[in-house]
Amino acid sequence: MRWLGNLIKAWAYISFALVCAVILFLFGFVFYRGAGTISMEFLTEAPRGLILGEEGGIFPAIIGSLMFTGTALVLGGIPAIATALFVVFYCSNRYLEEGIHLVIQCISGIPSIVLGLFAYSFLVRDLDFGRCIFSAGVALAIMILPFIEVRAEKAFREVPVHIVQSSYALGCSRLYTISRIILPSCRGELVSGLILGGCYAMGATAPMIFTGAVAYAAVPDSLFAPAMALPLHLYLLVAQGATSMDTAYGTAFVMMAIILISNLLATVYARRSEKRWKNS
Amino acid sequence: MRKKIDSAFSVLIYLLTACSIMALGFVIYFIVKEALPLFQEVSLSEFLLGKRWMPIDYTGTTAFGIFNFIVATVYVSFTAIILAVGIGLGASVFLSCVATESMCGILYPFVDLLAGIPSVVYGFIGLQVLVRIFLKAGVRTGTCVLAAGILLAVMLLPFLVSSCSETIRKEKKKYEAAAAALGIGRWYAIATIILPASWKNILLSMILAIGRAMGETMAVMMVMGNANLFPRLLGKSESIASVIALEMGTAEYGSTHYHALYGAGLVLMLLLFIINIGINMLRRRIVSNQGRDAE
Repeated sequence: MRWLGNLIKAWAYISFALVCAVILFLFGFVFYRGAGTISMEFLTEAPRGLILGEEGGIFPAIIGSLMFTGTALVLGGIPAIATALFVVFYCSNRYLEEGIHLVIQCISGIPSIVLGLFAYSFLVRDLDFGRCIFSAGVALAIMILPFIEVRAEKAFREVPVHIVQSSYALGCSRLYTISRIILPSCRGELVSGLILGGCYAMGATAPMIFTGAVAYAAVPDSLFAPAMALPLHLYLLVAQGATSMDTAYGTAFVMMAIILISNLLATVYARRSEKRWKNS
Repeated sequence: MRKKIDSAFSVLIYLLTACSIMALGFVIYFIVKEALPLFQEVSLSEFLLGKRWMPIDYTGTTAFGIFNFIVATVYVSFTAIILAVGIGLGASVFLSCVATESMCGILYPFVDLLAGIPSVVYGFIGLQVLVRIFLKAGVRTGTCVLAAGILLAVMLLPFLVSSCSETIRKEKKKYEAAAAALGIGRWYAIATIILPASWKNILLSMILAIGRAMGETMAVMMVMGNANLFPRLLGKSESIASVIALEMGTAEYGSTHYHALYGAGLVLMLLLFIINIGINMLRRRIVSNQGRDAE
């Protein structure tokens, strides 16, 4: 019966090699094809050309994407971390805790396009904000809320119970315990969760097609103006066909580079976090 | 004074938590509110089972049937999970049984890179590479359900790998020492004890992954051809999310077409709620069964 073990072994090694090959191919392909387009002008100029985007750069799209992501992180990250704190340190009712978990899981199940529909009907139409960064930011915030909450809650649960209880026993309040012990020791996971959540929001197109991102706009000066976004810009360039392929590869290059750098940062930062209880 | 700040902070936490919970309520309320007017004009069975989708009356009559879209959404998700599970499961066996802890510290973030790639970039690479391969292989337009399935499979990999390898690691911890003590070879133990013990949880992650695939919009829309046809593996088709993304821009506010798109969104959302709530109940049952076994 040796062959069965060997079969599983070969299967595991081959599948993992395949996964690695796919990752290297995706990044390598985009970097190889896009490298020729990247220049200072491409990164700092607005798109130009008879067919928009054929010439010129993607500067407004980069800034727009950063503003969408920032709005989503502020609006989604704070409630997410607060919810995680509530579930771990404040909630004493088991049914309430399970209920919150179910709600969070359901939010993570809402398709991003449906969040776009929601933001369109509620913010763009009923509250009359129009298509703007804020409207799309709300949709993106709801999208990344469960993503950050799950990571934050996992980090909080890893803090040993005896440290928290010692703190309470010494008469420290919950606020003091959270701000002096819990948050500093989980800083690495929290920051890396926020960075990865930001990447997730930056790459999403569906929620902002009809709520805030537009084909062409100047660099936005407020949160209530429409803006360009990298993923939508790439989609439109691809939809225009063969003439704008070079700038399309360039745009994809920029997005993949942002993803790669933020993932690196998140990984390094998560590892640096101090786990004093582990050393002692 | 300090006490006041402390209680103010508690109130803040309560309020923010309430905000997160209410977000779900708000989304459901607005989608349902915009979808309901549709059913004054189109009956529910006509909407769910009709095969004609003619939102604008060029030919005289309009029709709002999303049957083909629903089937296409489910079909492409199942194609994706079937393609992904073989590789994903193998990779998670590798990560949980071969890789050392320090290797995992590098390999997990490496695999997670796949989750970070924007879906538009997946669609773009799909168009540039996959669709061309399909064209050369003789598929008439290149865009087809299988291309979308392959792309989705790659997008599901990081999710499958992380959840499956966590399960396998747990089971390994439980049985590894006992298996070694009985003189069973390491790989034989993995094949006959550890994998069978974790199949329930693996099945759960597969269902969750299908849910994720159903909600995916951009990548699917770019390579699936977008024609209202009953899905075949090498033919064009269109998923619910693509219909919404493509037609929302042209639908007049307040028209039947507009409400029909919200109705399609509602159907998609309900499908995913059923999956998520079902998973939650199943998982609780598995956990309580395991608790009983341990006693």
